[in-house]
Amino acid sequence: MAALNTSVLRGFLWLCLFWLAGDLATGIGQLPLSPGVVGLMLMTGFLLARGRMHADIAAAAQPLIMLLAMLIMPGVVGVFWVFDQLAGYWLAVGLALTLGTLLSVASTLWLMQRLLPQDTPSAPFRKTP
Amino acid sequence: MSLSITDYLSMPMLAIVLSIGAYLAGMALFKRLGSPGWCPPVLLASLLLAALLKGGSIDYADYREGAQWLMLLLGPATVALAVPLYQQMHHVRALWKPLLVCLPISTVLAAFYALAIAWSLGAPPELLASLAPKSVTAPIAMGVTERLGGSVSILMGGLLITGVAATACVSLLGKVFRITDQRLLGLALGINGHAIGTVRAFELGPTAGAFASLGMTLTGVLTALLMPLAWELTGLAG
Repeated sequence: MAALNTSVLRGFLWLCLFWLAGDLATGIGQLPLSPGVVGLMLMTGFLLARGRMHADIAAAAQPLIMLLAMLIMPGVVGVFWVFDQLAGYWLAVGLALTLGTLLSVASTLWLMQRLLPQDTPSAPFRKTP
Repeated sequence: MSLSITDYLSMPMLAIVLSIGAYLAGMALFKRLGSPGWCPPVLLASLLLAALLKGGSIDYADYREGAQWLMLLLGPATVALAVPLYQQMHHVRALWKPLLVCLPISTVLAAFYALAIAWSLGAPPELLASLAPKSVTAPIAMGVTERLGGSVSILMGGLLITGVAATACVSLLGKVFRITDQRLLGLALGINGHAIGTVRAFELGPTAGAFASLGMTLTGVLTALLMPLAWELTGLAG
């Protein structure tokens, strides 16, 4: 019988340990950050210090990231229960989201166009069919 | 034997079954509709789930309590974002100067425009706190909004609209400014349109996708670092 492949499980243990480390750090340092974000920074530092990818962590990270959309769903669904709270603020919310995004996209493009060194022109902008 | 629906929900398994079922059904429906860019699959799945809950007259709070078990995985999933970030690190090394200037400015502006517009139209602090991380990837944005005292549900709606709007704006402005540089389009999509923009960037090409996921993660971390601080300084907290 083939040995049980524990790669994903070991990677998942790493991810959870880094989350716990992030939780510990935010607690001790009284940081106004979520443990996940601190864990993400610690993990990035760990991988940089290591100098190469950790196969177990990559094996666990990939399926988890693919599942992110499902994991946020319980939060997304709640939006159908808060419509009444938004009464009177529809214009404020709608303009903040649409006009605000248009302005911030324009700013990013304008800024990066000036700052990014010219690349050898990559494949022209094409719409995927 | 008389179990009410609330008793079932206190056993988290029903909430988990509903969530996974609705997610898979939403994905299938998304493919059936020809993968429309303006309608992310998570929106379809959420509509289905909301219809199920309303149909079964299940209270959202009850459902959410059961679904906590699923959302627990958001923690390690957020940490997992370190993997694509590390994989794109060579881009950061090559372009660290423009990124160092552009990312903080873009990140701050993405929040600033929205907050300034909402504030000038009379939005109360709690609503502002729900909109502030609107351009940030959901797992990080949820943490930020909770710290600021906003509503996660309103934030989630805001994230969906922002993601779709950013995707449309990048296509539009990309044409107007005649931008063909994949790195630029990718960064704009990732910084402003979080995961929804990043999915679109991968459709444009692998380079755009890589830069979008880079922009998305760095924007998320930067916002998580700066936003609570800015909130304290402007006296919006408390």
